Amino acid sequence: MKRLSRLAAPLIGLLVFFGAWQLLVWLFDVHTFVILKPSTIITEMWDHPRFYWGNMLVTAKEALLGYLVALAVALLWGALMARSRFLEQASTPVAVLIQVTPIVAYAPSAVLWLGRGLRPIVFITGLICLVPLLFAVTAGLRSADPAALELLETVDASPWETVWKVRLPYSFPYLFSATRTCVGLALIGAVLAEWYALVDRGLGRRIQEAIDFNQSRQLWAAIYTVALLGGAAILVLNVIERRLLHWHPGARTIS
Amino acid sequence: MHHDPAPTPGRLPVGVPAASRPGRTCSRYQPSVPVACPPVKAGLGVEVRGVTKRFGPTTALERFDLAVDPGQFVTLIGPSGCGKSTALRLVAGLTEADEGRVEVGGGPPRAAQSGRQLGFVPQSPSLLPWRTVRSNARLLSESGRRSGRSGRDLPTTEVDALLEEVGLGEFLDAYPHELSGGMQQRVALVRAFALDAPLLLMDEPFAALDEITRSEMRYLLLRLCEGRDATVVFVTHSIAEAVMLSDRVLVMTGRPGRIELDEPIPLSRPRTPEQEETTAFFELETRLRRALRGSTPS
Repeated sequence: MKRLSRLAAPLIGLLVFFGAWQLLVWLFDVHTFVILKPSTIITEMWDHPRFYWGNMLVTAKEALLGYLVALAVALLWGALMARSRFLEQASTPVAVLIQVTPIVAYAPSAVLWLGRGLRPIVFITGLICLVPLLFAVTAGLRSADPAALELLETVDASPWETVWKVRLPYSFPYLFSATRTCVGLALIGAVLAEWYALVDRGLGRRIQEAIDFNQSRQLWAAIYTVALLGGAAILVLNVIERRLLHWHPGARTIS
Repeated sequence: MHHDPAPTPGRLPVGVPAASRPGRTCSRYQPSVPVACPPVKAGLGVEVRGVTKRFGPTTALERFDLAVDPGQFVTLIGPSGCGKSTALRLVAGLTEADEGRVEVGGGPPRAAQSGRQLGFVPQSPSLLPWRTVRSNARLLSESGRRSGRSGRDLPTTEVDALLEEVGLGEFLDAYPHELSGGMQQRVALVRAFALDAPLLLMDEPFAALDEITRSEMRYLLLRLCEGRDATVVFVTHSIAEAVMLSDRVLVMTGRPGRIELDEPIPLSRPRTPEQEETTAFFELETRLRRALRGSTPS
């Protein structure tokens, strides 16, 4: 019964949301180029599955690449910050500035600098994911049980071994929660970067195209596809997290 | 990956009498090796001379002396904040003295660390929550720069046997969050014993346990120590625990910490629960209690 409601509740939530949307558009007879009925949007996707699937794969790849690059940089930089208070204090203002500056403002410059194509997209996507991951790594590595660290000290474990065996696993809960934030951020980054990077595929490109040519069906179907992609990413994350963090009190309650 | 099949005899800490242990089977060695049970274990002596340790404005220890003979079970007892944990941490090499000298087996604690000669049991079990009981018990024996070369750690089968011995045989694959506090602390004990270290350092390991579990743990620790020649330095708040376990009890006074009373415990070994009800036991407890009362300024 509990299990059933855990599966049914999210579905009911989604149904109510989209039902209300459908109803409101129908009731108030909203103009079709403003907002479409969910049924119309889903029909559009249903009619052109390969088109949306193909573009989704492009955007998914960009977002994932950007995230992975950000993760690698964050692990290195964060490890240094966790080791040295000075480095942390020196890095924090830079990180905060990166975080608060709207990516739209400098995205065109990034494209000018890095050229067209994948490179600026990964750069922009990575940069937008970097700061949350960086702070998560620093806080996570520091969250390790000090007594466990001392235990390893009593057998003269190397710093590397201590990071690998104690600090890194302790940072996983932090990394997962930052990664959850990054799903949305990476998709914003990828969609936006596609507009500027003059690529000819990807959901961002399709959205831009639909706006330019006033194709509200394609616009909304592309938006739904991005949303689906993000939702799927979160679901995958949940599964990985439950397997990997089964020991963590927080993970045991996440449904 | 933990052991050389043929051990080099004589890998003993310098300056320590080599106590052979005839009663013990050498299951760690391959039967074809024609060596008789080598003197793998001998307790490590501890010597602390004139140590002063300050934390900011507070002086935890001042001109503190402590000498523990190889193979002895010595307990430090005293009021909270009397510096007993600090003394233990100095011996473990987890903190450095401001003045004075700390020696473990004739060398600095750091050398004992890299020689994997310290089995440390912290106050909280500090198990890694993502590791199973078995894997937690092996944490120390599989870690450290010299791991795999020291040949001193117990083979994994013996670690499992130790876990059986402390009653965790059915929980080898359980995770710490599935265990009670007492069970977690038992894993922490095995983790230290799995190193087969000649010096065991225990910092109030049973402090967080309820009274019943606590007295069970006492006998468990006695059982584990029997047949091993390891030196043990044990820190506790409990007088009964101190008398039951130790060869010697040192009562400490606080701020700055020093030793008020050095009381030998002449009770026969192996210790049994019945000894707790003897007059000798009671008299020892009383003496310690009086010394403790004297040590706390009222």
